[in-house]
Amino acid sequence: MSDILESYQQTLSELTFNSRPIIETLTTIAKENPTVADGIIDLITQRIRRAIPQHKLFALYLLDSICKTVGNPYNILVGYDVYNLFIDVWKVVDEATRTRLVALFETWKISKVRGGGESLFPRDQLDKVEGFLKKVGKLTSAPTQSQSQKSQSGPVLSNSKLISDINQLIPIFEAKLKRTNDSKLNDKFRALNQLKIILTNQQMKPQELQAVQNQLNAIKEQELSPAPPSLPPIPPKPVIHQQHQQQQQQPPQPLQPIVNASQIFNDLILSGLVKKEQEPIPGSKPNYTLVFPTIKYVPKTEIPGVDVLADILNPNSNIQRSEYQKLKFGELVQISKAISGDDNSLQKFINTNKPSHSSVQLLYNSKASKCSICGKRFSTDQEGSTKKRLHLDWHFRINKKLTGTGSGATGTGGGVVSNVQSRSWYLDDYDWANFKDEQLLEFATPEVAQTATINSNIPSGVVPYVVVPSADTNMNNKCLICLEQVKASYNDEIGEWCWMGCIKSPNDSKNLRKIVHITCFNDRKRATDTEDGNTRKRGKLA
Amino acid sequence: MSIPGFGTDSNDPVTSTAIINIPHKSEWRIEIPFKTTLDFTVTSGVAEIFGTELPLNVHIHLSGVKCAIYAPIEDVSISYHLIDNIGELSSEDNEFSEYISTESCMDNYLNLHLAIEQKRQSCTDHNILNPGELIMGPRVLVLGGDACGKTSLCKILSGYAVKMDSCPVLVNLNPRDGVFALPGSISATPVSDSFDLETSGGYGFTTTSGSLAHNPKQPIVKNFGFSSIRENLDLYKYQISQLGITVLSRLEQDLSVRNGGVIIDTPSLDIKDFSVIENIVSDFQVNILVVIGNEKLSIDLGKKFKHKSNLDIVKVPGSPGVVDVNESFIRRVQEQTIKEYFNGTNKTRLSPFKTDIDLHDLVIYKPVVTRDLMSSLSFLPKYYAILEEPSSSNLDNSIIAITQLPQTNKSPRDLLNSSVLGYVHVSKFDDDKKKLKVLLPFPGVFPRNVLIATNIGYNE
Repeated sequence: MSDILESYQQTLSELTFNSRPIIETLTTIAKENPTVADGIIDLITQRIRRAIPQHKLFALYLLDSICKTVGNPYNILVGYDVYNLFIDVWKVVDEATRTRLVALFETWKISKVRGGGESLFPRDQLDKVEGFLKKVGKLTSAPTQSQSQKSQSGPVLSNSKLISDINQLIPIFEAKLKRTNDSKLNDKFRALNQLKIILTNQQMKPQELQAVQNQLNAIKEQELSPAPPSLPPIPPKPVIHQQHQQQQQQPPQPLQPIVNASQIFNDLILSGLVKKEQEPIPGSKPNYTLVFPTIKYVPKTEIPGVDVLADILNPNSNIQRSEYQKLKFGELVQISKAISGDDNSLQKFINTNKPSHSSVQLLYNSKASKCSICGKRFSTDQEGSTKKRLHLDWHFRINKKLTGTGSGATGTGGGVVSNVQSRSWYLDDYDWANFKDEQLLEFATPEVAQTATINSNIPSGVVPYVVVPSADTNMNNKCLICLEQVKASYNDEIGEWCWMGCIKSPNDSKNLRKIVHITCFNDRKRATDTEDGNTRKRGKLA
Repeated sequence: MSIPGFGTDSNDPVTSTAIINIPHKSEWRIEIPFKTTLDFTVTSGVAEIFGTELPLNVHIHLSGVKCAIYAPIEDVSISYHLIDNIGELSSEDNEFSEYISTESCMDNYLNLHLAIEQKRQSCTDHNILNPGELIMGPRVLVLGGDACGKTSLCKILSGYAVKMDSCPVLVNLNPRDGVFALPGSISATPVSDSFDLETSGGYGFTTTSGSLAHNPKQPIVKNFGFSSIRENLDLYKYQISQLGITVLSRLEQDLSVRNGGVIIDTPSLDIKDFSVIENIVSDFQVNILVVIGNEKLSIDLGKKFKHKSNLDIVKVPGSPGVVDVNESFIRRVQEQTIKEYFNGTNKTRLSPFKTDIDLHDLVIYKPVVTRDLMSSLSFLPKYYAILEEPSSSNLDNSIIAITQLPQTNKSPRDLLNSSVLGYVHVSKFDDDKKKLKVLLPFPGVFPRNVLIATNIGYNE
C-alpha cells in the first residue's frame, strides 16, 4: 500500500464524529491524488462497511463530499455500489441517522457532476434507492404500491381479522407437517396456535396488531411460496422470537420458559453476540448470525479488597472523576500507602520502587489516543474524546492560518507572510497572578467564525451565509424570526456546509446555531428603527 | 542574519539517513553542535526527551542541543540524518556525537514524580472537599552541583505532571539560562502544556500577537542583569523574594496551579550558599527538597533544616549521561535564546521592530556589581544605580530590560519590585546625537518605562 493510502486510512479511522476538518482534508487529498482513486474509494467503502454504526454516516458524508467536490473519477468508481452502500448503512443506524440519510439522498438526486450535466451517480442506482425509501415510507412524494402501505390504509385491524388469518395458515402448516417432520416447522406451528389463543382472549393495541399482522404476512409469503423444497433454510428463531415479543407484552404470561428464552435471545442481540440482519422493511425476514467477540472477556481475578473498601470509605470517593482520573487515583492510592510509612519511606520509595506497569502507563497508554501531529495524548473516555476533537480542530485552524491557505487553495507561496506576528510584552505581577492558562490552550472557546458578517447592508447579488459549526452534526436549523426550516447546503466555493441566505443572530452571536434569514433580519430592523424613532420623538415631546 | 537552517534549502549538504534502535529503558544520548541540525523521526515506539513525548513519524529538528532520547515503555526506532547549517561560521570544534546507554536513572525520577503527583492528588481532593480551607500542591526545590542534571530533572517533572493533567509552576532561578525569558533574569511559568522541543533551551514560545503551532506559555520575569548570581547576591536574593511573592499569589488565585504546586530549578549551589537556599525555601514555602547526586549536601541540608518538620529532603542519583557544557556552548545557547526572543525560529518567524530613540527621554539604571561596591562607599545603593554616563562603550550590543514601572515613578523601592515588560537590544549608540538604535520585540511606541541596562551582551 502506498504512503498516501496508508496515511489516508489512518486519518480515515479518526473520522469518528462529524468533523468538517477531517472530511475537508480527506477530500483535498482525494482531489490531489486521482491516480490512487480506486484505492481511496476502496478505503472509504471499506470504512463505511466496517465502521461501527455510529461512525458509518460520517464516512458516507466523506464519500459524498469527494463525489460532489471532485467528481470524476470518484463518482464513477463508486457509482455502481451506491445502492448497496446506502442500504448497508441504513440497516444498522438509528432513526435520527436515517433522517439524515434521506436528506443526503435528496441532495444526490439533484446534484450534478462538477462541470458536467450528468447526475452524480448512475440513474438506476438512484432509482433503486428511491424505490427503497418509498417502500419503507420515508419518501412520500409519490403514491406507492407497496404492501406495507396498502395494509396500513387497508381495513382497520382487529383481533378477529388476525385470527382468521391464522386460521388460514393453520391448515397449510398441518398439511406440511404431515409431509415432513421438520421440528422447525413444528415450532412455528405451535407458536401460531399460541398466538391464536392470545388473540382470542385479549384485546391488543393497534401497533401490536400491526406487528402481528406483519409477522403473519411474512409467514404467509414464506409458506405460500410455490416451491417449498427450494426454500432456503430459515432459522426458526426469528419468527418465534418476534411472536413472543408480542406475548411478552401481555400481562399474564402463558409461556414462561419460552419467554425467558426469547429474552435471552434478545439480550444476545443487544450484546452484539448475535447479529440481526433485516431489511428495514416491516415484515421482512431477519437473518441471524453468530458473532464471535474479538476481545476475550477476562474476569478480574482480584477480589475487591482493601482498595475498593478504602475507596468506598474514603470521602474522596464522592468526587466525580473521569475514567482516566479514576485510574490515576487508584494508582496513586497505592503509592501513597507505600510512602506513608516510617520517616525514610519517601527516600526508600524513590530509591527502590520498581514502577509498576500500570503506573508507568498513566503517562502513556492509559491515554491511548495520541495526536498524530504533536504527540499529545488523550484518554478514550468522553472527556478525552471531546478534548481530542477540539485539539484536532485547533491544529486545523492553526495550520490553515500558518500556511495562509484558504480552503481549496493549495499553494504554499504566501506562507508565513499571512501570519506576521511579534512577541508580546510580558505581564506585570498583578495581571500574571490573575491570569488563567486556559486562555493559552486549544480548549479555549474558539473564535467565532469570521465568515459571517452582521452587516445588514450586504450588496445585493451576494448571498450571505452562516457556516455550519464544525462541531455540529445537525444540518437542519431554523430562522429565529420566521421559524422557517433552513437546511444546510454545501457551498462549493468555500468548501463548507452553509445555511444560505442567513446571518448569525446579532443578539446572540456567541451561539453559532442561532441564525436568522437576512430578509427577516432587515425587515425586523426596519421596523424597530422606525419604532425607535417614534419613541424618541415622543420622548422629546414629553 | 542567519538562523541555523532547518533544511529549507535543498542544497544543504545532507548526510545519508541512518536508523537507530533504542532498546526499552535505554537512552540515546546525543550532542548536536550549532553548526549541525539533527533531523529525525520516531518511526516506531514511544520516545521522549526529558519527559516530553515525541510524535510518531513527524520530523523534528534539533541544533545546539545536548540531550537524551529515552524509550520508557518499549523499543524505539528512529531514523535520522544530519544537515550542515549553512552560514554557520563558528569555529566550534564540537562534532555530532551519539551513543546508546542502558544506564539511566529514569526509574528513580519516575518514582519521584509519582510521589509528587500523589501529593498533588491528595491536595486536589482536599481542595474539592474543603473549599473553605484550601491548601497548596507540593513545592519542589531541585538542588545540586554543576552539570548534574537539575534542569533536565525539572523538565522531566514538569513534562510528566502535564501528562497527568497537572499544571505546576516551573520556576527558574538560574539567571544563566533564559527560561521563557532572556538570560540575566529569573522567571516563573505555569506549565499548562508540553514544551516545544525545537526552540532554544527546549522550552517554547511565550505569547505572541499571532498564532503559534504550539501553545505558548505566560511567564512572570524578574530582572537580575547578570549571568552569574555571584555578581550581586543581595539583588539576587531580593528578586527571589519578589518572584516568590508573585508566584504564591498566583497559587492563591488559580486553583489548577495551586494544586499543581511549584518546581524550582536553581543554579549550582552548595552548602556555602545556605543563606540562598534558606531564602528560596522560605520564599516559595518549599516542602520537598531534592538533591541530585550529592550525598554530602543532602546530609548537611538535613542537619541545617532539622527544625523544619514539614520539609522532606530526598536525594536522587545524578544521571550518568550528563555532560559538561563549556563556557562557549553556554554563550551560544544564550545568543540563540536572545535571537529567538526577537526573531523567532525558522519554523515560526517573529517580526521585531527597529527604531531610533533619544537618550534624553530615557531613565536607565544598571544593577550594581557587589565587587565594585566593596571598594567604594557603603551608602551607595546596593541593588541598582543610575547609569551615569551612557555611552557607546557601555550600551553598544547590549540587552536592556524594560520594566513595568513608568518613568514618572522615581521610587527605588518600586523599581526593585517591578518585573520585566520586555527586552530591547541596543545595536548602536550614537555618542554625538545621543541616539540609540534599538530592536524592539513588538512594533509600536517605545514604552516610556524605566530601563535597566543588563550585563548580557548580544551581537546581531
